Amino acid sequence: MHRSKISASLLALAFLMAGAAFGQADFSKYVALGDSLTAGFSSGSINANFQNSSYPALLAKQFGISGFQQPLVSPPGLPPILALQRLVPTPVIGPSAATGGVPTNLTLPRPYDNMAVPGATVHDLLTKLRSTSATDPTDLILRQLGFTQLAQGLSLHPTFVTLWIGNNDALGSATAGTDQLLTPTASFEADYRAIAGAIAASGAKMAFGNIPDVTTIPFVTTLTRFIPNPATGQPAVIAGNFVPLLGPDGPLQPGDFVLLTATSELAVGRGIPVALGGSGVPLSNSVVLNASEAANVRARVNAYNAIIQAVANERGAALVDANAALTELATTGVDIGGITYTSAFLKGGAFSYDGVHPTKFGYAFLANLFIDSINKKFGTTVGEVNLFPFVFGSSSASSSAQASFNESEIGAPFVFTEEARVNLLRSLGVPQAYIDGTPTPAPRPRRPVHGPHR
Amino acid sequence: MQRRGGVTWRVLGVAVALGALAAVPMHAAGFSIFEQGTKAMGMAGAFTAQADDPSALFYNAGGLAFVTQGDGSIGFTYIKGLKAELHGADPFPGEGYTAKQKKLSEFPPHAYYVHPITSTWKVGLGIETPFGLTTEWENPNQFAGRFLSTKAALRAFDVNPTLGWQVTPNFGIGFGGIARISDVELRRNIPANNPFTQSIVDAASLRLKGDFKEGYGFNAGILYKATPDLSIGLSYRSKITVDYTGDARLTPISTGNAQLDAAIAAALPLNTDLPVKTSIHFPDEASFGIAYSFTPNFLIEADANWTGWSSFKDVPIIFTGGATNSLPNVDLPQNWKDANNYRLGLRWQASPTSQWRLGYVYDETPQPEVVVNPLLPDSDRNGYCIGYGYTGTWKADFALMYLPFKDRTRNHSAPGDGPFFGTYKTDALLLGVTLTF
Repeated sequence: MHRSKISASLLALAFLMAGAAFGQADFSKYVALGDSLTAGFSSGSINANFQNSSYPALLAKQFGISGFQQPLVSPPGLPPILALQRLVPTPVIGPSAATGGVPTNLTLPRPYDNMAVPGATVHDLLTKLRSTSATDPTDLILRQLGFTQLAQGLSLHPTFVTLWIGNNDALGSATAGTDQLLTPTASFEADYRAIAGAIAASGAKMAFGNIPDVTTIPFVTTLTRFIPNPATGQPAVIAGNFVPLLGPDGPLQPGDFVLLTATSELAVGRGIPVALGGSGVPLSNSVVLNASEAANVRARVNAYNAIIQAVANERGAALVDANAALTELATTGVDIGGITYTSAFLKGGAFSYDGVHPTKFGYAFLANLFIDSINKKFGTTVGEVNLFPFVFGSSSASSSAQASFNESEIGAPFVFTEEARVNLLRSLGVPQAYIDGTPTPAPRPRRPVHGPHR
Repeated sequence: MQRRGGVTWRVLGVAVALGALAAVPMHAAGFSIFEQGTKAMGMAGAFTAQADDPSALFYNAGGLAFVTQGDGSIGFTYIKGLKAELHGADPFPGEGYTAKQKKLSEFPPHAYYVHPITSTWKVGLGIETPFGLTTEWENPNQFAGRFLSTKAALRAFDVNPTLGWQVTPNFGIGFGGIARISDVELRRNIPANNPFTQSIVDAASLRLKGDFKEGYGFNAGILYKATPDLSIGLSYRSKITVDYTGDARLTPISTGNAQLDAAIAAALPLNTDLPVKTSIHFPDEASFGIAYSFTPNFLIEADANWTGWSSFKDVPIIFTGGATNSLPNVDLPQNWKDANNYRLGLRWQASPTSQWRLGYVYDETPQPEVVVNPLLPDSDRNGYCIGYGYTGTWKADFALMYLPFKDRTRNHSAPGDGPFFGTYKTDALLLGVTLTF
């Protein structure tokens, strides 16, 4: 009896040690589910140069997995990746090439390990099977196999799944300058719970990302609501005052946002009164996110995040607080070895030329956020990604195909070429009507008219 | 310059000349330098209860009370950095990254003069270099920590007039004033994001120089010869704050991209003096020692020192210029803790003219892990000393100290601070020489 007691306790010790080696999570088969942020989308493009350092690819490396498969597209990517063509006097952003790249991993005889589909909503994860327009990249990843992103991902029998979905449910509306495209909370919750339930049923451990605040992305926050000084992007002082731009409902009010894609309208004088050298035509609905729209988007994001937190608690999933991280980036900035990264467009180092998706550094930083959250939740000791190569990068500048643009732009502190603007908005899933500037606006409450300043 | 508080300019001038040699790599815990006399150094600084040479002005002013003849000492400690390396850790600067500091050779000096006035009243004047620091990284424009610090140098030396009173034949007290003169230099690079490559490049190098400024304090000591074989000593040196004013200057570094260079030139006040001020709060220090002669030729002393490093909370850098010649103010948090060190020394009189010394010190670092940084990477240290003293018509003391630091690893950050992780490895060798006549 003495001997069997010893061997029983040795066995228990062996299990304990094996458990300690893994912590309480097994990373041997890792699958990523999500949208463009998970796909490694950057500067308006799906491009292997960036997909190779998507946060799931970086996580896989840190988990010790080799052969992590993604739906790679050769450079310059699809659509052709945006490049900074000029910095002074006015930054000009346009496609880096005329033709895009081609998929290079289409014949993989199994679903990809990174199943993320740019533009996907929570509902799409459960139901979407194929592309719904010529510019919808869903077919690239789902390959018309007749199975959803969720089904394909779970068919790989993952032991660990990261799920970062819901960004398009909220931010897709915001980037179209409206609150009319927000997914209702009840259906978001039902779909999110269904997804989490399906992953849990497969036995995989999970990490969930939550949704960032819309006011922390440079796509929304870069341009001022006042007529800008084109040289600096700062509000121009006109007769001692700042003059608000003309929006769809009149002069822009405090709390109204001008989206980055308004630059092409500003360039032809929209939003600027005739008396000050503009066309007098107000900025379109699709390039203004007014205060009440922004408040509605933020409230919806908070509601989504409450659901994500609740489901994470119920399912024992790690919660990766992307919302807090991006808020920190937008307010105090994030310090790395004496370098302060911020969400400032072009200067901050964290956001790419589309003002929505991260740079390579930004994705590496996100990967470490996932790792820290996973280690904390599961007691694991996954090592963080080495940020040095992402901080200092490679010395190769992006290619510079010269696009044509009208030099006599008025009041545009940045220039997105028209092609860049259209491609970008399509890649963000903005409906064509909003891209064309002709959506049917919802009835708006009357607002009192304020004075020109403030 | 005008007289200040009774300290003559000529003495200050001499002090400045000596002090020009006084920038040293950190080799006592924090940036204190306890090697202010070679006889004491041979015993690893366990000298508070002996204090029987002119360096008593530093180690225990109470020892001045027992001086019977006029004596002067002059000497220096040669400090050679053997190793000062950083081995990086993830996430930044990353596993496999290594960097080295420039190997330093410095010569902090000391000088003392003591003289009895009456049989019970004695005076002395000391010039000491009790604090100093140089941390300078090789290849500064490639060093991964260059946006934190590429060079940090601090020089401080004290002019220490002292009075000793032999209260009874075996009890003496001493009291001194300290005029400290110090200057400071900090260098780092300024980063910019290159929007063409979305990677970090160097925009400019920043050099901040604080001119020599003064601060005042005092020291006091008690030496009690309880029996012919047993002595007890207690010494205290007060804290001193030095407020520096000076200039900073940004020198542009070409990024290789003319448009980016233009954008940087528009954003930063380059190539112009930016008036700046900063402060260093030097700590107070207390020592307690007991010395016992087992035989007339063999003595052992044990000391404990306490240094009030918690006054070194931060280094504020405040730009005092206008809109066109300022940068945002910066505060470099330090949050050091009070620290102790423990010393054990022995001396053996081999012959009437020869004395051998051995010593060991364990020196705790005051620096918490989360603020270990390339400006000041500190660690606990062990010091092993051997010394020799010759006594003839004049005296000569020699000592050698091997000072290996414990490897110091930083893997955690303070809230709001970002990572600069890795392990610092440091070793130094010290050689002391003092002549007394």
